[in-house]
Amino acid sequence: MKKKLLTVILAATMVLSLVACGDKKTSTSTPASASKTSTSVSKADDKKADEPDARGMLNGKFVEKRSISVECYDRNVSEGTEASNNAWTKWIQDQMLERYNVEVTFVPVSRWTEKEDVSALLAAQNAPDICYTYGYEIVQSYAQMGGVIDLKPLLDENRDLLNNMFDWLGESVIYQDLDPATGTLWAIEGKRNETARINTFVRKDWLDKLGIAVPTTKAEFEAMLVKFKENAETLLGADAARMVPFSMSSDVGWRAANIIESFMDPDITDKELYVNGYDDRKFTENGTKEAIRLLNKWYNEGLIWKDFAIQATDSTAEDDMIKAGFVGAFMHNYDYPFRGDVNSINYTLASLVEGGKFIAVNCFEDKNGKYTKYSYSNTGDRKAFFPATNDEPVASLCYLEFMSDPSVVEFLQMGEEGVNHTVDAATGAWVYQQADEAHHDWYVNSGKNIDYTLNCNGLRLATPELTNLSLAYGYAEVDPADVKQAIEAAMLDARAPKTVSVGDINAETEGVDLATKRDTTFAKAITAAVADFDTVWDAGMAEYLQAGGQAIIDERKTAWEATYGTDTMLP
Amino acid sequence: MAKDTKVKVKGPKQKFNATYLKRYWQLYFLLALPIIYLIIFKYIPMRYIVIAFKDYKLNMPLMKMPWAQVKKDGAMVTDALKYFKDAFSKPDFRRAIFNTLKLNMLDLICGFPAPIIFALILNELCFKRFKKVVQTIAYMPHFLSWVIIATLVIRVFGPTDGMINMVITKFGGETIPFIDDPSHWVGTYVTAGVWQSFGWGSIIYLASIAGINTELYEAASVDGAGRFRKMWHITLPGIRPTIVVLLIMNLGGIMGGGFERPFAMKNNLVMDVAEVISTFVYKVGIQQLKFSFTTAVGLFQSVVGLVFLLTANFISRRLGERGIW
Repeated sequence: MKKKLLTVILAATMVLSLVACGDKKTSTSTPASASKTSTSVSKADDKKADEPDARGMLNGKFVEKRSISVECYDRNVSEGTEASNNAWTKWIQDQMLERYNVEVTFVPVSRWTEKEDVSALLAAQNAPDICYTYGYEIVQSYAQMGGVIDLKPLLDENRDLLNNMFDWLGESVIYQDLDPATGTLWAIEGKRNETARINTFVRKDWLDKLGIAVPTTKAEFEAMLVKFKENAETLLGADAARMVPFSMSSDVGWRAANIIESFMDPDITDKELYVNGYDDRKFTENGTKEAIRLLNKWYNEGLIWKDFAIQATDSTAEDDMIKAGFVGAFMHNYDYPFRGDVNSINYTLASLVEGGKFIAVNCFEDKNGKYTKYSYSNTGDRKAFFPATNDEPVASLCYLEFMSDPSVVEFLQMGEEGVNHTVDAATGAWVYQQADEAHHDWYVNSGKNIDYTLNCNGLRLATPELTNLSLAYGYAEVDPADVKQAIEAAMLDARAPKTVSVGDINAETEGVDLATKRDTTFAKAITAAVADFDTVWDAGMAEYLQAGGQAIIDERKTAWEATYGTDTMLP
Repeated sequence: MAKDTKVKVKGPKQKFNATYLKRYWQLYFLLALPIIYLIIFKYIPMRYIVIAFKDYKLNMPLMKMPWAQVKKDGAMVTDALKYFKDAFSKPDFRRAIFNTLKLNMLDLICGFPAPIIFALILNELCFKRFKKVVQTIAYMPHFLSWVIIATLVIRVFGPTDGMINMVITKFGGETIPFIDDPSHWVGTYVTAGVWQSFGWGSIIYLASIAGINTELYEAASVDGAGRFRKMWHITLPGIRPTIVVLLIMNLGGIMGGGFERPFAMKNNLVMDVAEVISTFVYKVGIQQLKFSFTTAVGLFQSVVGLVFLLTANFISRRLGERGIW
């Protein structure tokens, strides 16, 4: 009897566990087409004043509650709050309910592997209703399989709901990805309000200690690195062995951008820039090889961090090393040493090393002696798109509209006065501050809450004047003069790439991991012996081009010529 | 596993009949559940194999998806093997196959004997307490994820901040590129694998050693056999069936292999030797959404694995050993 009972219990648990595993809803893939037809019914029918329109909306608000899920980047900030559940997300949720009667849930996606994670979610048919990514090729690949909603008709039908979005982004950005041949629009680009991109930083206190002037040319920069290495004992004492004159990560194209761009032809045509522009690390541009040759020389002279290529993308090893004060110079986002409040590089460094500080410098001159570098284009940033599994496209559009509202963005970036910002009495500028312990739920996990303001990257306050005034005050625990200097350094001789709108390039979705081939080549070429440099670089480049790089270049060229004819410069 | 033990208790071949079913219905009932599980989660999904021969479309039911098309003289022609041809024309894929075989072979050569030797040594320890402690410590790495192990590897073997290289440079030596040189990396990769799994792998051998009749050892002692003689003539033959079964199963996985380990341990400098089929499939299939292509690759991989398994099983039966079925 006992045995029987046991058997039955065991069996029952197994059945239950099976049922529990298989119970997840499986019908996520169908509703896209159905919902599209429901919205395509014209809303301008002779509706009565107090009756909802065909979209189920009355006075711009849904009569029945709708639910959408929205992606948000998760930076896993140790002192911060949960990316998908904090005072900011609650505020957004409340506002969306109040304005549109739309319930919002957030789906966190790791910032540093966002493309991979979004792809995985899409592949699992599990993606949030509103996704955003920096990688248009993901959207495009998915669209080719019928996995993305075409936004063109959706925008046409719901234009009346989207005034703020059209004001903020403008037609040119909204329709930037419109395919001229098919008339489809798979994603809406976001916009940058700050275009400063990459700076070179050097240790000011080391320069002072060794009596070196701030470098202004490549040669001076190199001489400075050599001096750092030679004087490791003076600068680091017992830790002299840990001296790293110049540090990078495996993302060489980003972390050596100032060098690479200074080797490019400053008179490059828009066409050439675009044709080689699939790779935003400028791998196939004309001067890149020589730039990497310089890095190769430095590496062999022991001026570059030996571990740069072996660290994982999201490893903090390099940052920790910089914060600990072992690094003399590096290149990164124009405001990198200021990011992270009390965990920022400059703040941590200053607390560990007396007078320790990184300042932005310009020392990579091009052949004309200017500091040509590329800023961001202010059109086009993260691309928002709706997967076909989205069954609330109109409510999702409302969310984009909501995020374009200047007052919403202002609040998300600066929060409440006294909690996340103060007003500078002298200038009237808004001075950002990180929320204190008492208001920990208002902790800002990402600078200016960029992870929530999905179509705005950069400070955007109510008026452009206030925005400009407050730019330098956007970092807690940082002297605004340092920020101002960094912005100026990043914008000196900076060129913004122009927006090219020639439709989708199919070769870009060919399923080859070109980015890894690029980074592998960068890494191998830099670490090669000086004598082997050409062989290693040429082999890597040949493999990159053969694996699909050349096909992309060719197709981009054809697309350019089809749209702009023989012109090589954009107006 | 469940099926295995079943075979063992059955003993001599018996004709299946209703009485038997009736008498042991509880056991059959229990067996039914894993079988249902296998059918639902392992067999039914197999119909999606056809994706390898079709152009995958997200918004279409499986059966309606068109067969793979290729462009030929300007027109689209059906070619169901398109994705297989695609795969083999890619140097990346050929390299991934080669790397998979190479790393798995090395794993097998170094990793397979390790737990056997470890189990033999443990078995010879007479101080029970010490044995338990050693055993527990040896099991521990098995519970670490590869992400953690990969980080540990960088900490220990890294070129500048790695523990070993720091010691070497302190004494004036040259750093050894454990993880930044392709051939050294392979060694590090294999070592990490052995370290992670030998303790855990030894459990099954220890269990099997425990099943050997102790009278055999006593008899051997009486005959004057020393430790090594006993090991060689009693323990090893005693666990031979286990060794063979595990070897066959390992051979079946020679084309497979996990994803986590190579993915966590690779870096840009060793990509040429570190890219294996599973990471390749992840990169191209999941990240770049080429489902048909990667299904084709996966199918190829499974078929090769199956062939290896069948061959190994066949050979082992020919040599008079028990196979896995």
